[in-house]
Amino acid sequence: MACGSRTDLCATAPRSDAICHAPRASTTAICLLLILATFCWSVPDAPAQPSTDRPASSAHSVTLRFVSWKPDHPRLWDEAIKQFTKAHPHISVVRELAPHSSTAYHDLLTQKLKNRDATVDVFFMDVIWVPEFAAAGWARPLDGRFSSTMREEFLPATVAVGRYGEHFYGVPSRIDAGLLYYRKDLLTKYGFTAPATWEELVHQAEQILAGERQAHPTLRGYSAPFKQYEGLVCHMLEFIAGHGGALLTADGTKSTLTAPETLAAVQFVRDRIIGRLAPRAALTYQEPESLSVFLQGHAVFHRNWPYAWELVNNETRSTVVGKVAVAPLPGFAPGRNAAALGGWLYGISTYSQHPDEAWALIEFLSGHAMQKRFAQEAGIAPSRAALFSDADLLAAAPQLRNHFAVLQSATARPRSPVYPAVSHLLQRYFSRALAIDHLDLAREAALTDAHIDRLLALTRTAP
Amino acid sequence: MTDSPRLTRHRDGPAAWMMVAPALFITLVFALYPVLDSLWVSLHHIFIGLPMLGRSFIGLDNYLALLRDPAAHQALFVTLAFVVLSTLLELACGLVIALVIHEHFRGRGLVRAAILIPWAIPTVVASQLWRYIFNDQYGFANLLLFGDRITEYVPWLAYPTVTFGIIVLADVWKTSSFAALLILAGLQVIPDDLYDAAKVDGANLWQRFRHITLPLLKPAMLLALLFRTMDAFRVFDLVFVMTQGGPGDATQVLQFYGYQTLFTEGRLGYGSAVSVAVFLMILSLSLVYLRAIGSSLLERGRT
Repeated sequence: MACGSRTDLCATAPRSDAICHAPRASTTAICLLLILATFCWSVPDAPAQPSTDRPASSAHSVTLRFVSWKPDHPRLWDEAIKQFTKAHPHISVVRELAPHSSTAYHDLLTQKLKNRDATVDVFFMDVIWVPEFAAAGWARPLDGRFSSTMREEFLPATVAVGRYGEHFYGVPSRIDAGLLYYRKDLLTKYGFTAPATWEELVHQAEQILAGERQAHPTLRGYSAPFKQYEGLVCHMLEFIAGHGGALLTADGTKSTLTAPETLAAVQFVRDRIIGRLAPRAALTYQEPESLSVFLQGHAVFHRNWPYAWELVNNETRSTVVGKVAVAPLPGFAPGRNAAALGGWLYGISTYSQHPDEAWALIEFLSGHAMQKRFAQEAGIAPSRAALFSDADLLAAAPQLRNHFAVLQSATARPRSPVYPAVSHLLQRYFSRALAIDHLDLAREAALTDAHIDRLLALTRTAP
Repeated sequence: MTDSPRLTRHRDGPAAWMMVAPALFITLVFALYPVLDSLWVSLHHIFIGLPMLGRSFIGLDNYLALLRDPAAHQALFVTLAFVVLSTLLELACGLVIALVIHEHFRGRGLVRAAILIPWAIPTVVASQLWRYIFNDQYGFANLLLFGDRITEYVPWLAYPTVTFGIIVLADVWKTSSFAALLILAGLQVIPDDLYDAAKVDGANLWQRFRHITLPLLKPAMLLALLFRTMDAFRVFDLVFVMTQGGPGDATQVLQFYGYQTLFTEGRLGYGSAVSVAVFLMILSLSLVYLRAIGSSLLERGRT
């Protein structure tokens, strides 16, 4: 507007043409600069003061922005949000859907938070991101709202992953842990029960494959995700912890890939699983591809998270409905087994201007009724302890009874603000170890150890 | 208007500046500033997840670390192999395609249009298609080779070398037509009387191609080479969609490595150093090419 009125002034005074052009050029430049400046500064300015605990005024309406991944059960989510806005007429919820993959969602969300984007209120945090989000100052501490009495209602492991230092940053939405799905019908046919060790699993699979070769030539022993991505770290951790090893030392300061148990576990997967028990194609599988092999009836054993139960027994998706059972993943000695801990927490952005409304949404979504509904209809394992003894729910989802012990004792991945970088190095090491046949494992492990140690040292050099 | 010449000259200055201003402004804000800023950031140690480390100036340490980083070496090796293989193949295929669609035959317009189709498809879509084609379970490649003998299906994308080859193949399929387009333009400016004269002198088809077509095509070929090398150096979407760098880092290219360090790991300083390194490599390569193109044009001017 300012630019336009300036031109009019010039038009009325032809004599001043020559002088007028120069100011006009600079006015244009100033206008452009102003536009740019407001553009740049408005974003960080607005949320500079984390407006703490304004009383929620129901007088004017508030729009909450919920950045979420693309959900597996969109209808359920739509209905949940609708129910929430019905109960809170002054709040409307806009969902922004990011890609399904956890890494892609992380990259998009952190990009927004890095830029102090005030249009993010509520988001999901993968359990491995809490230290990073807390240290970077992106997630609000929720201690005041997420009270100790409320915390007691959730499984302790899920509350623990939301904690960093002194504060709690996330409310558990769901819990995940690696489980062994197996073809109950085939194991029974050959007189086996769920294997307790990997050796036993290999033996059972070999027997079954030998017997079924004529009838079912495409049957393979095992289907699991081994692609170069975050899921590879989860599954390899299960092998390593099942062998008595770990990814880091107990104090979390050193990487332990060169430890004999860790090397032996990786060696086992490379020599006995890839291209033998599991098809070599497993190196290209994430969860959906490896699940699809199992759903088509082409695998005896399958590793996945709790959500797969619903799909395995879904008449329209699966050819093995009613033929599958779930057990804890095996270990390398009876009783020494491990499941990787996964799951999602709700967090509130530091730059959100509506923390009270955001909290109301989180309370609603993580509440008893909602979690029950998601468990019943989508097979998602709830984070609320009471639901595991809810008669209604157990009748609809009996598998939860078996999951409970596994979920309780699941093994967490390293907790560090530099975890994304550590994981990247682990993914690289594991994928190279499994895909390159003649790789010198010990040497590669030593190189990766040194690299990870340097990263971990950074977290201790804070001034 | 009855302005004096002096005044007119005086008026031209600001007016010209005003017309150039938007372009200049856009170049400064969206091209020069980001480049300089990346350069500046790459001299710092910035870790998004560790704000307490602050933003410390560390000079060239990120670049020294880059020289010692085995993952970066692997990415550089993969990128160079990709650039050399894909550009050479694209140039060869492009030359063949250009020679074909330069000839007069019925339906030439249709063929010309058809050849441009791969180039017109967005890379992300094409990459997704190639991923399906080489899928072990329901991929077209396996169906074509083995029919319904699914016990023999090959997991193409699970072998490091094969996967790398497939990435090159996908790139050649997609961009050969672009090289063909540039080479075709070069073919069309070669005067027909040169060929006629050569025919009169008794030169056969191969001799005409070897002594007329190839030398005169050199500038167009160099231009195609320049564009393709620069593009190949920046390869990202193919890898992002098809393999995420795997298996075992076999398709980890520099641009994807830079993306991962910047966006997944939050190592702003180091990631910027990777980007600047790629920028410098492309810049120096294009300078070499531009000199070559310039001198070849000069040679042509002298003859």
